[in-house]
Amino acid sequence: MTVVPAQQTGSGGGSSGLYDVLELVLDRGLVIDAFVRVSLVGIEILKIDVRVVVASVDTYLRFAEACNRLDLESGPRKSPGLPDVVGQITESGARGKSKGALSGAAQTISDAFKQARDEGSPEPESKGRSRRTTTARRKDDDE
Amino acid sequence: MSTYVYGIAAGSHPALPDGMEGVGDPARPVRILREGELAAIVSDAPDGLRPKRRDLVAHQNVLAEAGAAGCVLPMRFGSVAPDDASVTGVLAERAAHYQERLRALDGKVEYNIKASHIEEAVLHHVMAEDPEIRALAEANRKAGGGTYEQKLRLGEMVAAAVKQKETGDADAVLQLLEPAGDAASVGPESTGWLVNVSYLVGRDSAEQFLAAVEQARKDLPHLELRVHGPLPPYSFVEPGPTGPADAATAGSTAGAGVGAEE
Repeated sequence: MTVVPAQQTGSGGGSSGLYDVLELVLDRGLVIDAFVRVSLVGIEILKIDVRVVVASVDTYLRFAEACNRLDLESGPRKSPGLPDVVGQITESGARGKSKGALSGAAQTISDAFKQARDEGSPEPESKGRSRRTTTARRKDDDE
Repeated sequence: MSTYVYGIAAGSHPALPDGMEGVGDPARPVRILREGELAAIVSDAPDGLRPKRRDLVAHQNVLAEAGAAGCVLPMRFGSVAPDDASVTGVLAERAAHYQERLRALDGKVEYNIKASHIEEAVLHHVMAEDPEIRALAEANRKAGGGTYEQKLRLGEMVAAAVKQKETGDADAVLQLLEPAGDAASVGPESTGWLVNVSYLVGRDSAEQFLAAVEQARKDLPHLELRVHGPLPPYSFVEPGPTGPADAATAGSTAGAGVGAEE
């Protein structure tokens, strides 16, 4: 079984997997208090991907639609195809990711989810959280 | 001219990326500053540096290149010192600390795992496990989709069930992978994943770690597991699980020089 082709290599183009790695580059790593940090104002790339599970009327309706179209006879997953999915995720940064993540889902519901993602606007809190200084603990504020 | 800092390495590091392209447009060449037994990987800092894609990639590439040949403590993106002298000053001041970290992380790399649900699969699970949701969905379907209220009710129940599965699946991933790494660092939650965790893995045991990830994929087929690595040990540069993040964003000016995070 092949390993996910999302490794960062020294000579690589670098954009592969950047979306997922961004969070590490921007939020972790050594900080020296004698140095200034570049302002990260305006960096919203981390928050482009709005997970479907945002509790909103819009999400509820999308879910209901998806359930209506779900073919229960087809089994939980017809084709695993995970490596392919991951390959597509890294196509073109954040947009590529939110689309790529969907490509593993059946066509019947992918449209609904895509719309949910495109239309679902990030919660106001998520802006602050994109830069929030976080400890390595999981926080409970994702409700 | 202020100085952009990529990372800190031992002076004996076999292949520092001297002359590589760094941040900025045009790219500023990467330079090495030495102080005692330490070296800082730096370049000039371009004016008005912003977290643009190419700059993030440059930061990451310089660190990946340097990290391939030996241990490097990666700086968080965007660290700018007033000048070269203040960089070497910090190296001198905190030499013992950085040397300890370099020793502790020698031969180790970071693998970051992010997991998210495959929506269709998780919806199947939710429907299969909850007769009430199933019945409601069936009723709606027969009614040609159902009324607005019915849709809302179904959707809300499904959303709650999915949310609950996220928590359970996050725990499952952590449990499966925990034995495979030397140390773990759970990252911030976000809307893009249900779990985000980094593992410190010896270069020698990377194969075993990736095998454990592969096994987790098989055990949790309704999850999409994204693996990134080997990476510089971003999440393990500080001794404890928490970094001096607050001091950083407060933009504290020079002063002490030595972090208070220990």
